Amino acid sequence: MTRFLRRGVPRLSALSFGVVVLATACRGDASRSRATAADTLVVYVAASLARPLQPVLDSFAARTGAVVQRESGASLEHARKITELGRVPDVLLLADHEVFPRLLMPQHATWYAQFARNRMVVAYTPRSTHAGEITAANWTDILQRGDVEVGRTDPNLAPAGYRTLLMLQLAERHAHRPGLAAALLANAPARNMRANAADLAALLAAGELDYIYEYQSVAEANGFPFVPLPADVDLGDPAHAADYGAARVEVRASPERSVEYVGEPILYGLSIPSNAPHPATARRFLAMMFSTDALRALRSAHVDMLGTPVVVGTGAPPEVNDAARSVPR
Amino acid sequence: MTQPVPSLADLQVTSEPPESRRGSGAVARAAATVVVALAASLFLLFMLAPVIGLVSAGGARGMGALTRDAELRAALTLTAATATIATLLGVVGGTPVAYLLARRAFRGRALVATLLDLPLVIPHPVAGIALLLVLGRASPLGGALYAAGLRVAGSPTGIVCAMLFVSAPLYVSAAREAFVRVDARYEFVARTLGDSSWRAFRRITLPLSARGLTAAAVVMWARAVSEFGAIVVLTYNPKVASVLSYDRFTSVGLSDALPVAAVLVVFALVPLLALRGLRAAREERESV
Repeated sequence: MTRFLRRGVPRLSALSFGVVVLATACRGDASRSRATAADTLVVYVAASLARPLQPVLDSFAARTGAVVQRESGASLEHARKITELGRVPDVLLLADHEVFPRLLMPQHATWYAQFARNRMVVAYTPRSTHAGEITAANWTDILQRGDVEVGRTDPNLAPAGYRTLLMLQLAERHAHRPGLAAALLANAPARNMRANAADLAALLAAGELDYIYEYQSVAEANGFPFVPLPADVDLGDPAHAADYGAARVEVRASPERSVEYVGEPILYGLSIPSNAPHPATARRFLAMMFSTDALRALRSAHVDMLGTPVVVGTGAPPEVNDAARSVPR
Repeated sequence: MTQPVPSLADLQVTSEPPESRRGSGAVARAAATVVVALAASLFLLFMLAPVIGLVSAGGARGMGALTRDAELRAALTLTAATATIATLLGVVGGTPVAYLLARRAFRGRALVATLLDLPLVIPHPVAGIALLLVLGRASPLGGALYAAGLRVAGSPTGIVCAMLFVSAPLYVSAAREAFVRVDARYEFVARTLGDSSWRAFRRITLPLSARGLTAAAVVMWARAVSEFGAIVVLTYNPKVASVLSYDRFTSVGLSDALPVAAVLVVFALVPLLALRGLRAAREERESV
């Protein structure tokens, strides 16, 4: 597009005004436009965290008078908006802290803070087929049955997707049943796949699916009953990090290339990107987010917040570093 | 008393503005021409620059990828097939509705016409959810279809439903206009000469409105090809081109999303040009 603007526009020199209009439109940089130059906070949040975070955002807006612009979506999609489209938020909260070193550092962020855990569960609704009989002991059998519709998230797009694949491998290991992961996966076919955790939850709520592999926080936020999984399977317990490391999956990075993800405890990460349009507002928001009140609110919304965030990288603002030190474990 | 016939010379004089006003009038006309030309140029630039930019950025790579990227080929085939089926369904079901709305004055006609426009104002992901409520497994209709082995969500059927729902209103309203433009008296004449109403429609109204109906179907097809929001809710897999483009953008980046979108534009150009060309040729033939 820019190539076209450079080459084609001089020939239409009388239309310079139009070029200005177009150039502005093509940059698509809403976060930096003048209309939002006031006290604004642009937040990109992983879909699985959007609902629990909303009260914290509302309270920040009420206290500071800032206009909060929130975008919820798959974590990788947020990263692409920054790297590919140059649309940079003030605060970025992602479902996988690994996305920062893999895609965003050092160009777009110099630090990130691990701040919350989550665990994988099997969520369902009371009207799901066999809802009455599913337990932690028999879920692997019920989810293999031909009369249930099982959904999952696209592993190429969302951390919840590749974490589902890792979790299924761990379930197979836990149960000592070779072939279990493949059988469970075969019963969650591509047609039951969606782009992110929130879309998948909507399909379960609509009754289109019977069971979904989902984050516990999303299940709780939607009021879905869920089957908890063993600690060495659910990717939620740092004490089992070594167990998780036994699982690994290949995820497509391009039609020709794939990258490997190794199992590890689920850790959410946040950062203020280097080119954040309103960094001061972002720092104030993070100071509030790490306050005791916000921690309590998020925990009551079933987000497993770390007592002390762990900062990786350099250049984190004092608001984050202070919280990393001051909040009691 | 007969009116004096004005001579050519008189006419020329009266058509000219008085000497005193001629200068300012010419300036105003020139200014108006410049403003209109500028507005039209800006509009064209605004409409075409993104398309040309997209194709120049990704067209070559996209066409190159066609040979080795089976997923892209499958997505394009699926898009073309589902959009064509949706358009055919829209034409079959929408044409009688458009004809009724154009020709018959019945109670609630305005209401029906307005209700048929409503899908256009529904945000597309919401349209997808609305379709899911009616055609999903949990609904009576969707449940019966599911029991009969016909799956809507997660299947090409879902794609066709989403395309039909969001793009058929464009066909109906344009087809209705096409019928309105055909003088109803031609049909009456045919009827008085003994034609049945169906025969009058087929021999008189249909040929006279064919150009408008074709244009309406082309717009519907194009709109169906571009649909994303409702499809991604209903059927994420198998992927149509718009969903594949989004998937490539998120999982790989812009470098892989642009070729998919560019190829879609290039491919859509072929049937659009063919149909417009067909119309232009026919217009030429008819004007001779």
